[in-house]
Amino acid sequence: MESLSEHPWDVIIAGTGLDQSLLALALSRSGKKVLHLDQNSYYGGSEAAFSLDEASEWMNSVNQHPGRTPFEDAKIITHQDSSESAPSKADSNTSERTQGTPDVRPKLAASRAYTLSLSPYFLYTRSELISILISSKVYRQLEFMAVGSWWIHSPEHPNADSLELGATRLFHRVPGNREDVFADSNISMKSKRTLMRFLRHISKPQDGEEQDEAEENKDLSMPFADYLSSNFSVPQDLQNPLLSLSLSQLPQRDTSASYAVPRIKRHLASIGALGPGFGAVVSKYGGGSEILQVGCRASAVGGAVYALDTGIQSITDGEVSAESEHPVEVCLSDGETVRTRVLIGSAWDLPSLEQPPCTKVARSITVASSTFTSLFPVTAEGAPVPASTVLMFPGETLGSPQSPPVYLQVHSSDTGDCPRQQSIIYGSVALSGPEGHTLLERAVDRLLQAEGPQAIALWSMRYNQLGRLSNSGTPPTIQTHSPHVFRFPPPSLDLAFEDQTVDMIKQAWVNIVGDEVAHDEFMIFEDREGTSDD
Amino acid sequence: MSESASANAPKPSSSVKLVLLGEAAVGKSSLVLRFVNNDFQENKEPTIGAAFLTQKCTLPTRTIKFEIWDTAGQERFASLAPMYYRNAQAALVVYDVTKPSSLTKAKHWVAELQRQASPGIVIALVGNKLDLTNDGGDATGASSAPQAESESAGQDEAEAGEEAEEQLPASGDARKVSTREASTYAEEEGLLFFETSAKIGTNVVEVFTAIANAIPESSLKTGRGAGGAGQTALGSRSGEDSRVNLGDRGAATAKEGCAC
Repeated sequence: MESLSEHPWDVIIAGTGLDQSLLALALSRSGKKVLHLDQNSYYGGSEAAFSLDEASEWMNSVNQHPGRTPFEDAKIITHQDSSESAPSKADSNTSERTQGTPDVRPKLAASRAYTLSLSPYFLYTRSELISILISSKVYRQLEFMAVGSWWIHSPEHPNADSLELGATRLFHRVPGNREDVFADSNISMKSKRTLMRFLRHISKPQDGEEQDEAEENKDLSMPFADYLSSNFSVPQDLQNPLLSLSLSQLPQRDTSASYAVPRIKRHLASIGALGPGFGAVVSKYGGGSEILQVGCRASAVGGAVYALDTGIQSITDGEVSAESEHPVEVCLSDGETVRTRVLIGSAWDLPSLEQPPCTKVARSITVASSTFTSLFPVTAEGAPVPASTVLMFPGETLGSPQSPPVYLQVHSSDTGDCPRQQSIIYGSVALSGPEGHTLLERAVDRLLQAEGPQAIALWSMRYNQLGRLSNSGTPPTIQTHSPHVFRFPPPSLDLAFEDQTVDMIKQAWVNIVGDEVAHDEFMIFEDREGTSDD
Repeated sequence: MSESASANAPKPSSSVKLVLLGEAAVGKSSLVLRFVNNDFQENKEPTIGAAFLTQKCTLPTRTIKFEIWDTAGQERFASLAPMYYRNAQAALVVYDVTKPSSLTKAKHWVAELQRQASPGIVIALVGNKLDLTNDGGDATGASSAPQAESESAGQDEAEAGEEAEEQLPASGDARKVSTREASTYAEEEGLLFFETSAKIGTNVVEVFTAIANAIPESSLKTGRGAGGAGQTALGSRSGEDSRVNLGDRGAATAKEGCAC
């Protein structure tokens, strides 16, 4: 094998999360010699996606090496062996088969049939990330599926619109536009009027209304719930549905209008941008994991060198001098020493850097033996069948009124995350430890019970994750540790890709390339697909 | 390309993702360059610099459009990503007939494919740089004929039977991996097997044609990204039709912007 220390590097990037991978791509195409490392034997860091076997290895590693990654307390539960979880009532279709075969209980498929994402997130259709995936031509190697409806758990008021049995009985679809509001028979006429007023207000263009702006900003400083009641008289039962569109992971009272309103606007404005009936997309095969792998490949095509399973042991940060333009000496886990002009990585990839302050959330991944078909309606003519859906459980619906909401993202097999006839339920709540996991478990159980007896959990994993909630309002920034060593912020815990990340990556790229490259050429690349057809 | 233009009536056409594997400098990219452009560059840079190359292969009953993915050097430090293998329907595992260690490495890649790739993947084992051996250069020695090995062994008195690979004969035969050793292994593992010269062009088109022929009709579909096991349509709720084309946005909404 060749050596990484043969020549000095312009930039060493440690960690292969999406942020690092996009920066590597941008730099490699700007003529920089890039060495991109990961201490793990897999791509993606905290955004990695795993087969069942890989998840099990990951769990062991997380528990054995606390502090090495932004995760802790991982646990896998395999539910298959418990025979009492077998479906008690078989419908007419399956009872025929039951007689002939001894065991028709749904089973886990082979380990590799699963691609389970540690940090699942989706992209709004107008996201800056989509812009750079297109301008860099990287999107051609990716496949995207639509994210469909948002649902609110509503155990007290069974869904009047639900004609079929299945999960939708206990969930209300969140109206995403005015047509939805009209059609919704769960909302009273009076409530509809207030909701329409709010939707109209936030969808109108902002230009030419400077005099209102000051007042508007004053309003936005109050909690979202107060903003809705005082300005639009939106009744309380409609406030959680609106909150879910903002994907706020804090309870209603802790979510400010200045956070929620722009995010609801983003939600509404995204619908239709890539086709009718949906406003967000999810990358197939493990979401962000696939995007960053494609980014790393494109970066390698541009000349960057990749080494997995290669961590950083120590850093010696020197000065640029006449003798050396590569003042940073990096000792790698295999004992090799490499030199670079710039070193950049996350706090978990660079040793001896202070850990940044983090929020801790509880997350879970459940393989379910059901397709949850009723949660994936096609809601507009010509719309694609969605492959992902978002469910929000306000704390009070889980018997814990003080708690933040639980979000479940259900991925159908069309996402490539699991085999047919199964689904993946990704759960997240901004509450760590046993409390958070109890809520997550309760929410997943509610969903499975609502779907019916055939829906059981076949496998699940839970863990705590450290990172950054977007609610703080401060955009992600790269920390300067020295003139040559930089640190990425903790990973985002948001359920949607945070657009400010792209600005942050661009800023890092600008800092490194300086004036050598025109800055408006960021992530704009010529086609590198050699087509011989002409 | 002229090859495809020669087909008069339109035949069913399908895309096939083909991935290249093999030790560095065995000639992976050169094989593709010969196949796609009928070109050879003596001192090529290590990577091909393309996301992938495409080339059509016209069979009597159908046209296969190969989408050929190069490793982009990511094999060097054990850093090929799962997405590289994803939905690949064919793989070319290349070694250098003058370098025994490269066959060992090729076996490693075959095992890796069997572990990571789709179960039905067609794998061809290819011994490249045939031009450096005494059998090379000569286009009549076309197919993967095991007899070529025994003949050359007979012709060359400097070689002592099976152990030919241990010596470098004065005649300039640099072969160090016998055809029989590699072909026996290929047979055991159910791989297609060819010895090629990207430099001269020996057997290059033949490899790709053999792969095209070996891909089961049932796994062929038209369009990109097809052929993944999980994507086979089984009923009306098929994900296949529901993929979202990001390219649509570029045209439809331009950059008018983010609403937030």
